[in-house]
Amino acid sequence: MQGFRKEGILKDGTRVILRPMVREDRDKLIDFFSRVADEDRQFLRNNVRDPKVIETWVNNIDYHKVFPLLAEVDDKIIGDATLHMRRSGWKRHLGNVRVVVAKEYQRRGLGTLLINEIAELATEFGLEKLVSEIYFNAPGALAAFKRAGFGVKAVFEDLVKDQYGNNADMIVMVCDVEARRDRLRARALANL
Amino acid sequence: MLSGRPTTGGMKLALISDVHANLEALQAVLQALARENVDLILHLGDLVGYNANPRECIDLILEHQILCVLGNHDRAVLDPRLAEDFNILAYQAVIWSEQQLTEKHRVFLQQLPLNRIIQDRFLVCHGNPINPDAYISLHFQGKHALNMLRRDFRPATVCFFGHTHRRAVWYRDIRGKVAQLPISEEPIRLDQENLYLINPGSVGQPRNRIPFASYAIFDTSEFILQFKLVPYNINAAQRKILAANLPTYLAERLAEGV
Repeated sequence: MQGFRKEGILKDGTRVILRPMVREDRDKLIDFFSRVADEDRQFLRNNVRDPKVIETWVNNIDYHKVFPLLAEVDDKIIGDATLHMRRSGWKRHLGNVRVVVAKEYQRRGLGTLLINEIAELATEFGLEKLVSEIYFNAPGALAAFKRAGFGVKAVFEDLVKDQYGNNADMIVMVCDVEARRDRLRARALANL
Repeated sequence: MLSGRPTTGGMKLALISDVHANLEALQAVLQALARENVDLILHLGDLVGYNANPRECIDLILEHQILCVLGNHDRAVLDPRLAEDFNILAYQAVIWSEQQLTEKHRVFLQQLPLNRIIQDRFLVCHGNPINPDAYISLHFQGKHALNMLRRDFRPATVCFFGHTHRRAVWYRDIRGKVAQLPISEEPIRLDQENLYLINPGSVGQPRNRIPFASYAIFDTSEFILQFKLVPYNINAAQRKILAANLPTYLAERLAEGV
């Protein structure tokens, strides 16, 4: 996947490069996650401040299992979206989406740009629906997923804990990939 | 007998779609069709994109006088700005394909129409009857396309389409009910009173988790449809994708039919 890239534009006109993660991204990822705010880091599964975690990721890239999409500006990673897939079983048509955006690029449309790209990729992997689990009190993330065509399907009250140990709600958002495409096309036509 | 011109009587049509520059798959299908004794081969769009032999596939299509319509990837190769809305894998394949084409191939793609009507009764398109980017996958999309067929393309009653890479038969009966027929490789006799949308699946990149090239045969006088699958040399197609430095996943997916 080395060398594959595409350009995207943020709300303020900033041009960003979108491309799959490659093995050579170790140092850039360590730098990126060192800049991710603590309040955002609490939602991540792994300790991304540990270089060994990053090394495990870049040394075990399997695009069939996890497709990691990076956003870059000036050779610096500013966002990371991942599409998690299963190749068999009852959830083989589902993809899970996770997104992290650097603090200074939040509220600029980068989250939506990354989620949109992941949603477009989903059909290439034979996925029908995308699922994302989001912290209730993360309005930026909720708005980004909503703009990208996801809808709230369930709220699990008091299910998760925030960084201070307080119980909090978790929201599950779902996107039907084919229906999303149709909605976006209708919206584009309406804007002509 | 095979000719590039539709006749006025009953015909045996071969429906192929979404070749996507997969030469091995196209050759396998054309070999199978040589035994079918068809009158006309229709390609429902997207000759190029994703796989590694865009030039060779267009040449083969020309050699066999296959009637084609324009697909969204064909259009994007002619104007890569249109591919900016494609996902990163499809986008890279369009950029690569654009660099492979000669003037002759570009001219061929440029003259492809968005749709064609055969014998007044059969509409040929890629996405839906008027838009190569639109999908017919969900119920409301099938209903919308059938309404379009009924309203804007009379007296056509059957629309052949592609784009989804999945076999499908949608119908609208005389009461207005819209539904899909189950897919099988047995001949399916269609009701001439109904309206139909028929997708033969993809030759070059099937997405029904069956890694065979897919096509269909339609008898216009008997209204009998039969889906067919044919194995092809996937390894050879994969090697070419890798040699062309196209995304590895585009090669891997062929073996899985996704």
